[in-house]
Amino acid sequence: MNNAAANAAGDKAVPVMPAPAAEAQLVIDRVSKRFGEGPGAVVAVDDMSFDVMPGEFVACIGPSGCGKSTLFNIIGGLQEEYVGNVMIDKSRIAGPHAAVGMVFQEESTFPWRNVLDNVAFPLELQNVGQSERRDRAQKFISLVGLQGFEKRMPSELSGGMRQRVSIARTLVSGPRILLMDEPFAALDEQTRLLLGDKITQIQQELHQTTLLITHNLTEAVQLSDRIVVMTYRPGRVKRIVNIDLPRPRTSDVVSSPAFGKYVAEIWGDLREEATRGMEEAEAGAAARGKTARG
Amino acid sequence: MAATEPVRPKAARSQGWTAGGPVSGRDTNLIRIGIVLGAAILWEGVSRSGWLFQDVVPSLLAIGAAIGKMLVNPAFYANLQVTAGEVFASLAIGGALGIFTGIALGSNRFLGAAFEPYVYYLAPTPRIIFFPVMIMWFGVGAASKIALGALSCFFTVALSTAGGMRGIDTVLIRVGKSFRATPWQMGMKIYLPAMRVPVLNGIRLGFGTAMVTALLAETKLSNQGLGYMIMQIYSRFDMPSLYALLIIVFIIAGAGNLILGRVTGTNA
Repeated sequence: MNNAAANAAGDKAVPVMPAPAAEAQLVIDRVSKRFGEGPGAVVAVDDMSFDVMPGEFVACIGPSGCGKSTLFNIIGGLQEEYVGNVMIDKSRIAGPHAAVGMVFQEESTFPWRNVLDNVAFPLELQNVGQSERRDRAQKFISLVGLQGFEKRMPSELSGGMRQRVSIARTLVSGPRILLMDEPFAALDEQTRLLLGDKITQIQQELHQTTLLITHNLTEAVQLSDRIVVMTYRPGRVKRIVNIDLPRPRTSDVVSSPAFGKYVAEIWGDLREEATRGMEEAEAGAAARGKTARG
Repeated sequence: MAATEPVRPKAARSQGWTAGGPVSGRDTNLIRIGIVLGAAILWEGVSRSGWLFQDVVPSLLAIGAAIGKMLVNPAFYANLQVTAGEVFASLAIGGALGIFTGIALGSNRFLGAAFEPYVYYLAPTPRIIFFPVMIMWFGVGAASKIALGALSCFFTVALSTAGGMRGIDTVLIRVGKSFRATPWQMGMKIYLPAMRVPVLNGIRLGFGTAMVTALLAETKLSNQGLGYMIMQIYSRFDMPSLYALLIIVFIIAGAGNLILGRVTGTNA
């Protein structure tokens, strides 16, 4: 079953990136990751290559189970063993790097710290003095629109607000690359669109280089300059799409015809992969059911 | 007994840190006072009715007088000091060992799988059955009570610490790593605060078991302490003094629990 899938993916020529003109901020160079050994091994990421330019917003989109989170962990340095190179400033990532700031999919605020102390956490680790810590944290709390909530505990905030706290906490550490793994996955669609506005605004204000990992098509098109479409297991680069929607952008862009065209175009690619992912998941469930009954 | 503060519901899960107020208000306080008053009236009624021996159910006035006498009795304070010293020594020794063991069991999957069943099976064993062993090892003085008390609160603290350790949301650990926290920073700024509530609750429960065990041991074999004093008064059949002492012990236990509850509370 795995072999067939690998062959099917192997028949298609993987598009090669044109050489970037300027110096890339983040280089993903032939990165692969396999879990396990022998016939049971799962290739999560297979020979992926793409670049992220300074100030650029790139989204990596793919169906569930395509190895997106593995890629996230590799770039963030939490998955230290991998094949190929993730390069920042000509040095290979192996372990958490100061230049990369991660925002996680899960609820990740510290429930015992208020908003201000949550955001100031990375500065605390760097032994920044208390008043400077407060000033710098305050700046990013305002940036994500949470001024007035500094003394609130996370449990008193909504899910969207908590995710903004996490984003502010990551931004305060001054990462050159903001790396986000489905940061809005747990939120409803309207909150997601509005938070997208916030992200666009922040990105335009800070010229923050950002790599967003997502399975959400509208989110990816709404926010990105470029979209890397991934294949389902093993995760490969299927196509890279430039999004030429005007900036500054707001969530209104979702109603424009150009937006619809991009969504339709990418969905065409994604659909194949998502279908294959669903079929494999269902076949797996059926096989497990059979062994359980037998 | 009404003197002990009911445990406030505390969500130990990651979202349990609220600044929210108490659920109860004046109504529950009225009910609590009502219970105490009702019990007092019932007691006094039974005492005066003569249905039971006056010696067994003495009048509240007699008990009140005995409490007054007890509170000016230097022997009471000497015994209180002995018992309090035993309880706190038990808590310090058993608690420290319990936290240490709990962290080892909670952080190491292998150790946890290997040893935790023993801790679980031993935890509900009545500790008093080890008392003869402790007497042989540590003598009839305070040391054997401390050893037994430490043994009893060790299990409580160890299990709650191990549980707290495993209950830590793994994403918080990943957050710490992504910000390149040192192992020391991980311990002080993530593990400890994340485990604070279950560990402190364990210590609070450990205090209770240490106190129960120490007093129980004193009633069995000793020459000092509140447990010893209770048995001494009992042997004289001085019921008002016996009740007086029991009430005082209830109040002390309740106050100790209340103070620990405040310390472990969610403020700070």
